[in-house]
Amino acid sequence: MIKLFSRAVIGLSLLCSACAGPTPNNLSRLDLIQKRGELNCGVSGKIPGFSFLQSDGSYEGLDIDICKAMAAAFIGNSSNVQYRPLTAAERFTALKTGEIDILSRNTTHNLSRDSIGGNGLTFAPVVFHDGQGLMVKKSSGINSLEELRGSNICVGSGTTTEQNLNDAFQERNIAYKPIKYQDLNQVVAGYLQGRCKAMTSDRSQLAAARSGFREPKSHVILEEVLSKEPLAPASAGGDQKLSDAMRWVIYALFAAEEQGINKDNINSKLLLANSDPTMTSMRRFLGIDGELGKKLGLKNEFVVNIIRSTGNYGEIYERHLGKNSSVPIPRGLNNIYKSGGLFIAPPLK
Amino acid sequence: MQMNTRSTYIKLIRKNFFSNKLDSLISTVLIIFIVWSLLKITSWMIFVANWSVVSNNLSLFTFGSYPRLEYWRPTLWLIILIFLTLITLFWSKKGILRKYIPIAWIGMIPIGLILIGGGLGLTPIHSRQWGGLTLTLILTILASVISFPLGIVLALGRQSKIDVIHKACRIYIEVMRAVPLIAVLFFGQLLIPLFLPVGLEISRVLRAILSFSLFVAAYIAEDLRGGLQAIPKTQKEAASVLGFSPIQTMQLIVLPQAIRTAIPSLTNQVIGLLQNTSLMAILGLIELLGISRSLLANPNYIGLYMEVYVWLAFLYWAVCTIMALLSRHLEKQLTYGRG
Repeated sequence: MIKLFSRAVIGLSLLCSACAGPTPNNLSRLDLIQKRGELNCGVSGKIPGFSFLQSDGSYEGLDIDICKAMAAAFIGNSSNVQYRPLTAAERFTALKTGEIDILSRNTTHNLSRDSIGGNGLTFAPVVFHDGQGLMVKKSSGINSLEELRGSNICVGSGTTTEQNLNDAFQERNIAYKPIKYQDLNQVVAGYLQGRCKAMTSDRSQLAAARSGFREPKSHVILEEVLSKEPLAPASAGGDQKLSDAMRWVIYALFAAEEQGINKDNINSKLLLANSDPTMTSMRRFLGIDGELGKKLGLKNEFVVNIIRSTGNYGEIYERHLGKNSSVPIPRGLNNIYKSGGLFIAPPLK
Repeated sequence: MQMNTRSTYIKLIRKNFFSNKLDSLISTVLIIFIVWSLLKITSWMIFVANWSVVSNNLSLFTFGSYPRLEYWRPTLWLIILIFLTLITLFWSKKGILRKYIPIAWIGMIPIGLILIGGGLGLTPIHSRQWGGLTLTLILTILASVISFPLGIVLALGRQSKIDVIHKACRIYIEVMRAVPLIAVLFFGQLLIPLFLPVGLEISRVLRAILSFSLFVAAYIAEDLRGGLQAIPKTQKEAASVLGFSPIQTMQLIVLPQAIRTAIPSLTNQVIGLLQNTSLMAILGLIELLGISRSLLANPNYIGLYMEVYVWLAFLYWAVCTIMALLSRHLEKQLTYGRG
């Protein structure tokens, strides 16, 4: 009986290992997305400015617009996206099991997540450069890590944030007590209820959270930056077609900003390029000449589709994190290289 | 006369709360504490709380990301549910209604599924767009409906004289009871898709319903076993003397009584199930709790935790109370014959 049972289990597991796997042989996930006509995009759904729920039940934010740009490029319609709200813990499993096609969820690009020996993901270019910081109440008078010796610090568990906090304090040999929460909103609540002297998260998130406080001015973000947090969209590894397409969608967003092509002027630029055969690079970029899109497995006019639906990177940024948005964060590093930022797109040739 | 009643009240109060020094002290402290907290709570609710987060998002709490144009479908279902509840609780004594109420309740389930999921001419709406209170109710109702017959089978199987069946049921029940619900849910949400062949995708909602059903069935089986054991052996013997077959005995005599005995604990399971559906919020379903957490990230509503969670507590309380009332009603109905 037991023998039979164990045989059955082994057989079943062999069968499953044969049938499991994110993509069937040779068929890229990109083909699957195009056949399905819908992009499954993993998002957080809980980060102000990046992805959150509107009162009418739709999602909005920078991460969401990245999904939309991808859908516009892959399928040709930016509204054919299914958003899957995911927690930090389950995001990579969801990618691996194929439940989502791409992950656009404030995910830090680092070695262990990228490598085969780690999570084995493939990252697209960074869409937001962040860094971890600490926020304290102004009245506490604290303005350096040293002064936090022995204090409680609120932190989200299972994230790189928790690790960075630990690394930074251990390096400086400062004792502290981490109070761990499931997600950022709970961290904020814990901090506001006075359960800890400081809260830590990426500086963008601290700023976002602070803008919602009753008295935003009575909280300060410390000067010290504990980490680099380059946030990037990702796909399950080993699918060159999909990861190439993702990479160049992001680059197209940067390149469009660099060339001053935006949602408002895309049609006139297109007309102009159509009538003027000397604008070779513009014609190539907009898909009038050459086969840039086809090489990626997309339509040649994919850039036009992206810009029409979301605008260039600068427009996306302004919409969700700009001066007039509800979560203003200065652009700083998150600008194209010509304006002193870190974003540079290789030539679209 | 009035003086008289007043003085008896005073006497009663004195006797119950202030009979000696220690008593008086405890009573005073407690009364001060209760009055103080009530004052604090009401003043917070009226003056401090910003209820716009609730009032502006009622449709979000009810339907989640359900397509706007199709709101009428879940709304219709909820209205029918409320209507049916009212009829059951207040007008069910009337003869004709009484006959049809159970049928109506059973009919509610396919009607709800068709209304919300689509079919029969309605545009299909994928389950990943279900959300809010609607999703919470669907999870609870479907999981209870699936787990109930499963629980009966397990309970009977456990009493079976055939060794294999008896052992299999026992092992199933013991294992399910020994595993925490959250582990079963994680298994359903994260591991099952790994085992499935590519292209075959079971929706997250269905996976959640199945995980809940499999888990709850084990508990229901145990509740029913309690009911089964409460029935004296003599009844079975009497039945067999009267010429009932074992199946007839089970179907007509033992099970109805066992289920009736088990109703209070079955209600417990369903209420527990409703509250446990909130666990799906950490697994990414946007049911009632999940939708609230997403809403709290909206820059317009950051920091309004208290309001949202107080509102949620109220909603869960209201739904659970209705379910408890219904079950008490059912209990009364079933004891009708016993007088």
